[in-house]
Amino acid sequence: MNLIDLLRMSSANLKRRKLRTFLTVLGVIIGTASIVVMISLGLGMQEAMYAQVEEYGGLTSIDVTGMNSYGGGYYFEDSEQSDPAKYLTDDTLEELKGISHIEAAVPRLTAEALLLKGKYQGWVTLIGLTPEGFAREKIELAEGSSLPDPKAGELQMVFGNGIITNMYDKNGGGGYWETGEYPDIDFMNDTVFYILDTDAYYQTQGNSGMMGENGEQVKPPKKHIVSASGMVDGTPDDYNMHYYDVYCDLETLKTMLKKEFRGKVIPGQPSTSSGKPYNYLVYSSVKVYVDELDNVDGVQEAIRALGYNTSSNIEYMESMKSQFAIIQAVLGGIGAVSLFVAAIGIANTMMMSIYERTKEIGVIKVLGCDLKNIKQMFLMEAAFIGLLGGVIGNVLSYLISFVINRIVSAEAILGVDGSISYIPPWLALASMGFAVLVGMAAGYFPALRAMRLSPLAAIRNE
Amino acid sequence: MKKVIEVNGLYKFYRVGDSVVRALNGVDFTIHEGEFCAIVGTSGSGKSTLLNMLAGLEKPTRGEIIISGCHIEKMKENELVKFRRERVGFIFQSFHLLGTMNALENVALPLSFRGVPKSIRLKKADQMLNLVNLSKHKKHFPNQMSGGQQQRVGVARALVVDPDIIFADEPTGNLDSHTSEEVMHLMQKVVREQKKTLVMVTHDEHLASYADRIFHIMDGKIVRIEDNREIHKEEQQEKKKESEEKDHEKE
Ligand SMILES: Nc1ncnc2c1ncn2[C@@H]1O[C@H](COP(=O)(O)OP(=O)(O)OP(=O)(O)O)[C@@H](O)[C@H]1O
Ligand SMILES: [Mg+2]
Repeated sequence: MNLIDLLRMSSANLKRRKLRTFLTVLGVIIGTASIVVMISLGLGMQEAMYAQVEEYGGLTSIDVTGMNSYGGGYYFEDSEQSDPAKYLTDDTLEELKGISHIEAAVPRLTAEALLLKGKYQGWVTLIGLTPEGFAREKIELAEGSSLPDPKAGELQMVFGNGIITNMYDKNGGGGYWETGEYPDIDFMNDTVFYILDTDAYYQTQGNSGMMGENGEQVKPPKKHIVSASGMVDGTPDDYNMHYYDVYCDLETLKTMLKKEFRGKVIPGQPSTSSGKPYNYLVYSSVKVYVDELDNVDGVQEAIRALGYNTSSNIEYMESMKSQFAIIQAVLGGIGAVSLFVAAIGIANTMMMSIYERTKEIGVIKVLGCDLKNIKQMFLMEAAFIGLLGGVIGNVLSYLISFVINRIVSAEAILGVDGSISYIPPWLALASMGFAVLVGMAAGYFPALRAMRLSPLAAIRNE
Repeated sequence: MKKVIEVNGLYKFYRVGDSVVRALNGVDFTIHEGEFCAIVGTSGSGKSTLLNMLAGLEKPTRGEIIISGCHIEKMKENELVKFRRERVGFIFQSFHLLGTMNALENVALPLSFRGVPKSIRLKKADQMLNLVNLSKHKKHFPNQMSGGQQQRVGVARALVVDPDIIFADEPTGNLDSHTSEEVMHLMQKVVREQKKTLVMVTHDEHLASYADRIFHIMDGKIVRIEDNREIHKEEQQEKKKESEEKDHEKE
């Protein structure tokens, strides 16, 4: 029997009992749609996460921090007795150059600063980057902005677009978070001051005697005028990863800090056990850029072997991935239950159909229809139910997914753009294939049964 | 003449509870090519059992069945199906047409099991329906035809595969006597014209007289074989003469 004839007979049998076929297919439609929609939710979340990671520096960078340093877990009180602390210094950068697959290692130095403008003040973290660091960071600047010039001789700054929300009224009037209004400060054009030695500022502000802890007189800290070279692109409503940061040139920041805190320990920097500062500055972190994703693990291992702490998005990704795998398995499992029920429906339909057609099967056996053909005919019927259900189920899934994405925005739930339900082509294809497979599996035993029917018993059965 | 069916020492026992039913109790005979044979006997004498065994629908308990040189008692089920597909036509008592197909498609069905393309299949089926005088009922479904018409479709279906042997179990069992005569005439005509071997089961002595040879069976044994060949020949010659005379008269 050729394939077309088999197909013709199978489909004729399905057409014969339209309502029953429809109900069976309906089961498969619901099963397929529930699997696809469930998995699409998991995939949507995963997609959103990828997008987020991409935004936050991609997957090929590693953040290196020192051991036992201020970046590490615990403080450096006993640093000289116990393990020597591993600070990130220029030596570190040299060390990192010895590791292959590293494209660049850019240090970053951070310092706390206080911005002052009229009655407003606000805490910010100054981040010093090398020119290469700026190039790698790919900060999107607003119009008319430029990156800090390392040769300017003064500390030029690039303000994050959310810094304005940090400014508050020092007399108790509150800031943006209290009033809901942005203070009227234009960092680019207004005269804004900043203070690096904030301890001294508070000591001189608070008590009239202007006395330090040791009784010696504290000089009021120097107020510097901010020289803003640019703003990060975006309004204060658009959050991005540079939102709360203020960037400046690393070397200039070093010089400034050294001058400002001559003979004292710079806040955030380590000191010797006797409380004296080191004669070099310690970076708060080094960002290592790896050439390829596959090498990230290896490079990370190598850096750890040197005694530093590392963290990268890949670890976050890995842990997220396994979490998503679990979520997807659970969601898919819920969907699979309904497809399983549909499979039972198919098996039942096929059994009924065989009982109904016992005589017919007997007759075609007597007339010489091959046993294999009989089996194929019933398997095809079951597969066809699966296919039909799979195809319609997918159409339904796309509709449901569309509606979900319309009603529920991913932004509200996950805090990132993108759709919450995402059906990639492979999912559609795989689910259809799966539906066909389920149909055939459900139809297999009924088909065997049909094949084994005794022709004589079948035709006797009046 | 060539032997088509040879049966040697055929036994078939059924176990029903503790007792054994001897449905066939030692049967031997030979059927030659182009013969029309009838198996006659009372109800329960084992006629259907014998026919089913000849068609490979049931396994004998003991004995040999040789059809066109093949021992069918040794065949496996799929070989038997293949054997039926290629050599055997079957006519059932209750017609057993497929209700979802019209007359033409029903006749074409056995050809589809052989993988014959649809257009050729339908053409052959068409010819067969003409042969059985059903040219007006080709598009009718079984439930739109009388019993006699349905059985003629059944005959066409058995003939369409051009089988070596046709088996028929009480082909007229569900028809009235007049229609039965019609169908018998048709079968006799077809067998003579196309030189087919036909084995028919019936319990009606009169209908059996259409056959060349009649096997009388009782309690699973063949008790008598009646040979009508000479009588049939004479009848035919008489008919010929009559028609020739009529032709003369016309002239
Ligand atoms: N499957 C079976 N199991 C047990 N006994 C059976 C079976 N088939 C047939 N028999 C017995 O074998 C004997 C012959 O049956 P068979 O059907 O061949 O009779 P038959 O000559 O065709 O009768 P009828 O003219 O009524 O059709 C009967 O006694 C019947 O009871
Ligand atoms: Mg019988």
